[in-house]
Amino acid sequence: MDVMQRYVSPVNPAVFPHLATVLLVIGTFFTAWFFIFVVSRKSAKESTLIKELLISLCASVFLGFGIVFLLLTVGIYV
Amino acid sequence: MGTNYVIYLALSALLFAFTAKAEIVNTNVERTLDLTSQLVKATTKISAEDSAGKPIAEYVFFTSEPSLAYISVKDNADRNVQIKTNEPVKGEQSFTFTFPKASAKQTFVVETVASKSILPHPEEIKQNDKQFVKYAGNLHLYSKYKTNSQKTNVKLSSSNILSHTQVKPFSVSSNKITLGPYENAEAFSQEALVIHYENSSPFVTVNYLERTLEISHWGNIAVQESIQMTHTGAKLKGSFSRYDFQKEGRSGLAALKSYKTYLPASASGVYYRDTNGNISTSNMNSVRDFIELELRPRFPLFGGWKTQYTLGYNVPSYEYMFSDGNKYQLKMNLIDHIYDNMAIDEATIKIILPEGSSDIKLSTPYSISRLPNELVHTYLDTTGRPVISFSKSNLVESHISDFTLYYSFSKISMLQEPLLVSGFIYIIFLATIVFLRLDFSITSHAHKE
Repeated sequence: MDVMQRYVSPVNPAVFPHLATVLLVIGTFFTAWFFIFVVSRKSAKESTLIKELLISLCASVFLGFGIVFLLLTVGIYV
Repeated sequence: MGTNYVIYLALSALLFAFTAKAEIVNTNVERTLDLTSQLVKATTKISAEDSAGKPIAEYVFFTSEPSLAYISVKDNADRNVQIKTNEPVKGEQSFTFTFPKASAKQTFVVETVASKSILPHPEEIKQNDKQFVKYAGNLHLYSKYKTNSQKTNVKLSSSNILSHTQVKPFSVSSNKITLGPYENAEAFSQEALVIHYENSSPFVTVNYLERTLEISHWGNIAVQESIQMTHTGAKLKGSFSRYDFQKEGRSGLAALKSYKTYLPASASGVYYRDTNGNISTSNMNSVRDFIELELRPRFPLFGGWKTQYTLGYNVPSYEYMFSDGNKYQLKMNLIDHIYDNMAIDEATIKIILPEGSSDIKLSTPYSISRLPNELVHTYLDTTGRPVISFSKSNLVESHISDFTLYYSFSKISMLQEPLLVSGFIYIIFLATIVFLRLDFSITSHAHKE
């Protein structure tokens, strides 16, 4: 058991702020796309459900990771 | 007659075998008492011999200090000697030393640190008075065995000695007193050693220390120490004059104005605050292999006065954490330096592990009392993080030593937090999708497309 390696974070803490910025920008882009897409729908009967679900999934994944890295950047080590 | 003699010999040999322990004699004892601070640091070099020439494997050491905090024994080859704490009999604490190698002659050094053995005398002083303290101990080594020759060197904080026990031979030179050598002290002989002298070093005791270590697998360990301390020296008599304190250099000599705390070299994001908020009177210097933090409480601490504060910092995980697959190991100081010659009454250490840790095993350098595990809920937690807590009373600087905590944690669990946030946001999106498909209008639209 004494062959243990020093534990380092899977993501270098130095890149936390950059990662947070990039992920949040991408997430915001998808969110914006989602809302523009949803409100510019011609009729309620148009079958765009799959596309909406996919865009919002992308948005939420990017925002989720972005928010976690934002927390890590500001010193809330979750 | 001949057979009688043989039986007598055999019997006495048998008796000898049973009472062999009592036949140990301390041939020479050299004690050094360091009374310069609030702690009694005693170094006792004992040369013991078995009068029958039998190898000594075990030695019973008694201590007369009522509040012994730390004991360590090294033999002449600087090897650690195993110490077993015996059940106290009539309030007398004793330890059994087991030597790594039994031999007829043993020479070993016992180091003890005791707190609360030096008491202020008088108990109350005015602001401008000097603090005098009294040490009451034992002139002879309190031992189960006979002592042939012994000598005690006492080191005091100042040459201002009001009185001390005068058993010849003794000599005093400035702040050092040499007592002895005294010959042939019987076993369990007790003779009082009282020294009344000036000691202006602040007598500060940490009443309660709570040290919290929060582990994040994102590469950080957050350390927080919340400390309650009291000046346990001579109490302040009369009122406190800030004017005298600022004007006269000799005012409040025994008061605690500021002190230094040493943090690990990799500490960052240090904060020092109390219930009012940040205490701005602190200085941080980076020295070669540690960080020196000079803390100045909001007010000078006089006898009987109390203060409390919280000190916290972050350290990177690679300094203290080791891993092998899913197995992790945390190796960290159980307590850390607070101020020089510190005395801690009660310390509780809490280790907050990440959510989903299992197979937790703790190994400590000395015995502690384990408290039940708890769960704590902080940011982005679902089931709660396991908290390992344990406490220990009467700690001194010699107790600064590593504990090791073993646990298992799967790396996949780290994804739980971002996925939790993602899931939450996705639910908002789904709600939006659903709401946009519902028709909330009270009238039907006049012009349908």
